[in-house]
Amino acid sequence: MAEYKAPLQDIRFVMNEVFEAEKLWGSLAGTQDVIDMETADAILEEAGKITASLIAPLSREADEEGCHFDNGKVTVPAGFVDAYKTFAEGGWSGLTGNPVYEGMGMPKMLGAQYEEMLYSADISFGLYVCLTSGAALAIDAHASEELKQKYLPKMYSGEWTGAMDLTEPHSGTDLGMIRTKAEPNADGSYSITGTKIFITGGENDLTDNIIHLVLAKLPDAPAGSKGISLFLVPRNSVDDNGVVGENNNVTCGSIEHKMGIKASGTCVMNFDGAQGWLVGEVNKGLLAMFTMMNYERLSVGIQGFAAAERSYQNAREYALDRIQGRAATGPVNTEKQADPIIVHADVRRMLLTMKAYTEGSRAFSTYVASYLDIAKFSDDADQIKHANAMIALLTPIAKAYMTDRALDSCVAGQQVFGGHGFIREWGQEQLVRDTRITQIYEGTNGVQAMDLMGRKVVANGGKLYELFASEVKEFIAAESDNPALASKLDQLSAALDRLTEATEYVIGATQGDADAIGAAAVEYLDLFGLTAYGYMWARMVAKAAPKVEEDVFYANKLKTANFFFSRLLPGTLSLLEAIKSGSEDTMALEAENF
Amino acid sequence: MPEYKAPLRDIKFLMDEVLDSEQHYQNIGATDATPDMIDAIVAEGAKFCEEVLAPINQSGDQEGCTWSEDGVKTPTGFKEAYQQYVEGGWPSMNAPVEHGGQGLPESINIILSEMVGTANWAWGMYPGLSHGARATLEEHGTPEQQETYLTKLISGEWTGTMCLTEPQCGSDLGILTTKAEPNADGSYAITGTKIFISAGEHDMVDNIVHIVLARLPGAPEGTKGISLFVVPKCLPDANGEAGERNAVSCGSIEHKMGIHGNSTCVMNFDGAKGWLIGPENKGLNCMFTFMNVARIGTSIQGLAAAEGSFQGALTYAKDRLAMRSLTGPKNPEGKADQIIVHPDVRRMLLTQKAIAEGSRAMIYYAAQQADLVTHGEGEDQKAADEMLGFLTPILKAFCTEAGFEAANHGLQVFGGHGFIAEWGMEQIVRDTRIALLYEGTTGIQALDLLGRKILMSQGASLRNFTKQVHKFCQANEGNEALKPFIEKLTTLNKEWGDITMKVGMNAMKNRDEVGAASVDFLMYSGYVCLAYFWAQMVKVAQEKLDAGTAETGFYTAKVQTAQFYFDRILPRTAAHAQMIAAGSDSMMAIDEENFAF
Repeated sequence: MAEYKAPLQDIRFVMNEVFEAEKLWGSLAGTQDVIDMETADAILEEAGKITASLIAPLSREADEEGCHFDNGKVTVPAGFVDAYKTFAEGGWSGLTGNPVYEGMGMPKMLGAQYEEMLYSADISFGLYVCLTSGAALAIDAHASEELKQKYLPKMYSGEWTGAMDLTEPHSGTDLGMIRTKAEPNADGSYSITGTKIFITGGENDLTDNIIHLVLAKLPDAPAGSKGISLFLVPRNSVDDNGVVGENNNVTCGSIEHKMGIKASGTCVMNFDGAQGWLVGEVNKGLLAMFTMMNYERLSVGIQGFAAAERSYQNAREYALDRIQGRAATGPVNTEKQADPIIVHADVRRMLLTMKAYTEGSRAFSTYVASYLDIAKFSDDADQIKHANAMIALLTPIAKAYMTDRALDSCVAGQQVFGGHGFIREWGQEQLVRDTRITQIYEGTNGVQAMDLMGRKVVANGGKLYELFASEVKEFIAAESDNPALASKLDQLSAALDRLTEATEYVIGATQGDADAIGAAAVEYLDLFGLTAYGYMWARMVAKAAPKVEEDVFYANKLKTANFFFSRLLPGTLSLLEAIKSGSEDTMALEAENF
Repeated sequence: MPEYKAPLRDIKFLMDEVLDSEQHYQNIGATDATPDMIDAIVAEGAKFCEEVLAPINQSGDQEGCTWSEDGVKTPTGFKEAYQQYVEGGWPSMNAPVEHGGQGLPESINIILSEMVGTANWAWGMYPGLSHGARATLEEHGTPEQQETYLTKLISGEWTGTMCLTEPQCGSDLGILTTKAEPNADGSYAITGTKIFISAGEHDMVDNIVHIVLARLPGAPEGTKGISLFVVPKCLPDANGEAGERNAVSCGSIEHKMGIHGNSTCVMNFDGAKGWLIGPENKGLNCMFTFMNVARIGTSIQGLAAAEGSFQGALTYAKDRLAMRSLTGPKNPEGKADQIIVHPDVRRMLLTQKAIAEGSRAMIYYAAQQADLVTHGEGEDQKAADEMLGFLTPILKAFCTEAGFEAANHGLQVFGGHGFIAEWGMEQIVRDTRIALLYEGTTGIQALDLLGRKILMSQGASLRNFTKQVHKFCQANEGNEALKPFIEKLTTLNKEWGDITMKVGMNAMKNRDEVGAASVDFLMYSGYVCLAYFWAQMVKVAQEKLDAGTAETGFYTAKVQTAQFYFDRILPRTAAHAQMIAAGSDSMMAIDEENFAF
């Protein structure tokens, strides 16, 4: 496995040049005085160092060792406890946390870059940290002042970790069916009873307490998703001075044996009358979760391309090193028996596919993060409204499209290695296994597609879609004289036209066909994602083109963009055709005739 | 873990109704292979696969193989299952009668391979790898070598391997370094290290026959200096039984992503005694004689993945409740509907189904061509050989790529449970992943198809096939029910030729054009082939429906699955066509050192 090297130049390019972080943060009320570019750069530099030197080297062995379960206790792989302590001391869990409770208050556009590096180093390790940040986000947004003061500082400092407890054995996608119950106690707290499954980091030996956010139903709650409330349930009780006490009837029943992310404990959690406190309003638990869901979904998307970046780095090194066969145009490595495999067009196709998707994903995640920052830190109501609309529209794409292309990329990265890609010691197959879960958790990619097609596009008659389309059209208009973009703008326009056609087609088809949304959803999300990446690549070209003489880095951006436009964007053709075939073919076959 | 049920009705549909195997077997003189006989063999094989092999699939994955100085221990139950397999006479089914086989055509064996592979791929590789060794000895071995080794391989008493890959050489066999030095007695001393040797060492039988690629002293460099040797683990004694240990040992086994139940060995040859097979320095040519059949064998892994994961996902989708159908509750007394009501779940299931059944049709058809190569004569044999040569890279690469996609859909249907080992769906994904790598990676197959098979024959091999498709389309022109299928197929069949012509022209100017187009071209070809076979299945199904049948559901499902395939998957050809047309520029432009900073 090649050593991981944080792609700082690429990160700085998207954050600073393409999305102009300095200008954005300088314009927002909530970030103006919090961050300057020097700080941001120092954070990136440090994140690159610590993830590459402290965490990345643990990844391979940690996968082999996995987590151990013994009588309710979960032990993380060797080296994780020490690495976690060092990492937490750096304050990373609280990087984007609320400064009122000792978080660092950094914007998401920066946080997204740090998360990428963390996940590239090891997804399993990153999960312990990022789930803590996610739980803290929900607490900060919805919990009482008392709860915030009691729990947030310790979570930001990494002294305690956090977990999200949603899924139950019979209810995953359909949370309306959960059974965990919450009975009110006399002191205003609640007594929580039930079993949760698939709880990432639900139990571990990294810290001396774990703060669970649990979805449960009050005794008289309405049926379905409107009767769900959110509770904060610490594994160990915490007294008024913040001292950790006895176990709070929260125990881990077992851990799952999984395909990947083996170093992350996936726990069955039993709550046997555990004491919990309501977060947000009664029966509004799902709503409270939605605040953090956009962040979490972006984070899962980042996991995907972060793994793809690692896979790319390994594949690139292997392709330069491994010699096999001769170049079609004649030997290039005449003193050796064969040429390095990077001379072969098909190997380049795989590498460039990975590169074009991964860099496109990095731009896209930064783009979505910029809207999250506007929504959170702006003081202009219109700007916030617009940003929230864009976040709603783009989040399912960020989660599903980034992870789908990440799996493709990791599979390609494995393919470059030939038979060695199947062997564990090289690390490429681990990245495939680790990435596979990102298409499933935090709402499967099918659920994301339904969210996009149904709630975000059809439900408002395409209004949100129009916001995106006009942004792209404005860009095209503004750059119409740019010679570096000439043919690419035509291709982008054509892709956008296809997306618009698909949007109109599905909105039309839903009149009288309730299955139209579901039948089109996945291909629609793909079409949207691919078009959005076309937009990202066009924006990167616009920034890179004037600087090609300055640094070959920029010339390479153009070359990768050329590959994206000529070899990947044509996928939009097929997707539109599939969408326009309607729902009939999908629904015709009787269930018993499968 | 999904239970395996052999898809007997689907198999029969292809054999009896679509591919008219009765006529086919008469043509090649395999008069024993009557439909009744085949039904009986398939039913017996299905029972073995369902009851013996499938139950040790998951445990085999979890336990894996264990290496020690004394050898490799296979997972619990593997050895016993192999004994049953041998006792059942399965290894000898397709072997020539003169070497103790039953002489049944390869195409019948392919059905068994499918069932074995779907039930337990890792196990199936132990007997499966013997086929390469068998074919080599059958084609190129001396009568003595055949008597000594072939008979035992056919009876299943011994198993075989193919030792090709070395640490520094996989796709590029020209750079292999294992050497063979002549001994005074006419044998050779083989020295070198081979890696990735499937079933190279195990505890199921008392001897393993290795077919080893090595170089003689003074052999020309590159692929023209490679010879084939038979190197047994134990030297046969005077009675022909496994005797003294040869200097062949397994140095270690690999820790892999999947197929944990199969041992992937590093094999060390330290002056091991071996015997030349075929002429000196013609080793690679000798191998090519059976490469096609070996590659069909690997393509079955794609079919097996699609079928196995489809069965698992379908059972789950009919059982698991989540959310309501958008057109109103379908399971009003339950708290939610079965997930099969959701269009997206159906999309995944139908994709799996279309891939599994389409691949099966393609593979069974190719197996008939293989029969003609073995048993046919004259022009028929030559035509079949060409057809098989053309189809092989498509089958190997396309069916495994599509099968891997299907396996991933199967996992996805299970949601979070798909990621958990006990449900068995992630194992299918892990096991199948290797199929895209071994026996020539997808990239290598694509180069073989476009470069060697099509462009080197000036397009003749493609025209052979497109003519056949064209004939089918013409013959069914007036068929109203088939119209949408025939129209689409006709268009693509023509476009396929046009694309090929264009790539050929470009390749004359720039050699990189072939490599740049190859994988997209292969996938394009695969989708069109699958469309052709689906159209044939629709034709048969529609005729049955028109004539009136008690199996309306079965035949309607065939038509509906084909419709799904044509409308929802076949459009992928449009993107591949445009990607091919884009040429090699954007792929070759970036400098090697500039791939990252």
